[in-house]
Amino acid sequence: MGNCLKTPTADDISLLHEGRAGSETGDSSENLGPPPPYQEEAPIYHPTPNTARPVTQLTEDEQIRIAQRLGLIQHLPSGVYDGSKKGRECVICMNDFVIGDPIRLLPCCHIYHKDCIDDWLMRSFTCPSCMEPVDAALLTTYQTN
Amino acid sequence: MMASLPRRIIKETQRLSHEPVPGIIAVPDEQNARYFHVDVTGPSESPFEGGTFKLELFLPEDYPMAPPKVRFMTKIYHPNIDKLGRICLDILKDKWSPALQIRTVLLSIQALLSAPNPDDPLANDVAEQWKVNESHAIETAKAWTRLYAMKS
Repeated sequence: MGNCLKTPTADDISLLHEGRAGSETGDSSENLGPPPPYQEEAPIYHPTPNTARPVTQLTEDEQIRIAQRLGLIQHLPSGVYDGSKKGRECVICMNDFVIGDPIRLLPCCHIYHKDCIDDWLMRSFTCPSCMEPVDAALLTTYQTN
Repeated sequence: MMASLPRRIIKETQRLSHEPVPGIIAVPDEQNARYFHVDVTGPSESPFEGGTFKLELFLPEDYPMAPPKVRFMTKIYHPNIDKLGRICLDILKDKWSPALQIRTVLLSIQALLSAPNPDDPLANDVAEQWKVNESHAIETAKAWTRLYAMKS
């Protein structure tokens, strides 16, 4: 957002902006010093649904929140589609569930492909179908059980 | 080399053409299957009745995790649509869900035409008019509809 970058000029070259290096990565000139240690693509996270940032640019609070969310997601029941539930298609990818597909069940009982829903939950901790917040629902489930 | 199109986009496109929504036409661009040319008919009993409004809809790379980008191409006098055609609609922003589709987004936009919401304005001057003198605002909206959305 607000990406008001002008055409790069000589003094714009900065290692701080490695994230958008893009096309001109071929030649790492000697006056730039040794390359930063981890040059592999940093995973992109979504601290809020509408922002995307590489892991290296998250604030400490965001890192904590993302770590907590990763933990919570692991607590949501998952399994393999066995054909017993009649949810015909995953509303996220719109592909039919096929027996053997890894699935995840949210506390509101909506099911999705595991990869589809995990990707979404990392952006917003809500059920895509009923919009119920998953953490609130999680707590209720824990209380009643 | 063209990146392959996700199955979901192919399915949505097929369903839009085989089971079209009344009053809404969405056709993918010949060059770019993620870009749709949209025509929305002004809802009856709204100031936009009789008009056909052109919109553009683009499915970003991370759709359906991110909402489509939608914009009115036809000029419209509406408190939630600004001069550039940008739309103030929650599901296009923080209320987006991957369970929504092109179809539901366009239906919501059509519904927004029936129910302008001047309390959540995008075009401030229009919203002001809508609050201060609603009947005058409605007349203006009708006039703009005739002027820009009824080209024969």
